[in-house]
Amino acid sequence: MADEQDLLLPIANVGRIMKQILPPNAKVSKEAKETVQECVSEFVKFVTGEASDKCRKENRRTVTADDICWALSALGFDDHAEAIVRYLHKYREFERERLNQRVQNEVDSTRTKSGASDYKCIQAGKQTETPTPLLLFKVTDQNGSSSFTKLS
Amino acid sequence: MRQAGMYSGILNGGMSGRTGPHLLPLARIKKIMKRSGEDVKMISGEAPIIFSKACELFIEELTQRSWKVTLQGKRRTLHKEDVASAVIATDVFDFLVNVVSESGANSEDTPVVMER
Repeated sequence: MADEQDLLLPIANVGRIMKQILPPNAKVSKEAKETVQECVSEFVKFVTGEASDKCRKENRRTVTADDICWALSALGFDDHAEAIVRYLHKYREFERERLNQRVQNEVDSTRTKSGASDYKCIQAGKQTETPTPLLLFKVTDQNGSSSFTKLS
Repeated sequence: MRQAGMYSGILNGGMSGRTGPHLLPLARIKKIMKRSGEDVKMISGEAPIIFSKACELFIEELTQRSWKVTLQGKRRTLHKEDVASAVIATDVFDFLVNVVSESGANSEDTPVVMER
């Protein structure tokens, strides 16, 4: 059995997840952890294979997270599929928020760097429920006089 | 400033850090995915992240079922034979039958029957 064939996830990580679900007094033999390691690799290959088949039939080249969700359901891991779909949505939402925050931070830093007269506060992305930090923007009217307005 | 949000909550105690709070290494998962077949060439960035969670759930289910066998044997140490029994008794784990056989685990004469 070549090692290359059986690429495994680290036994420490696998063992940790197993211990998480077991009662505190439970013990797990090293061989049991190794067996579960092999099972997880097989699981990944099995589900990926199914997802990959779907992509091929649909003439797509990239296996996506949605394909994985579909494959989980198709192979009988219904409970997992539901939880994973929810997880995927939360992850995408989190990434969107993070991106919005990053764009906002870049806008803020641009504002402080430039001493320009006319600028607007740009709110990137859609409105979120998280409170935005205190913002100041400078308004210049037609006569050229400027004032600071606080936007809370 | 990075806020702890729903994402951290879902991952339940994983390490938080710049690489992301995952319990399993994403690069390794991606390598295993690529080994599943010649057709698998391109994998989206999200796929290993999803698999990290799916593998966690899979390990948990397999462990729970194996533990039931351990308890039925009135033991407190989970052995590979318990994993083998759990695999044999669960329909959805049919694809693992060869894996547990190759491990050298002897299947019991009367496998424990468990409901899925």
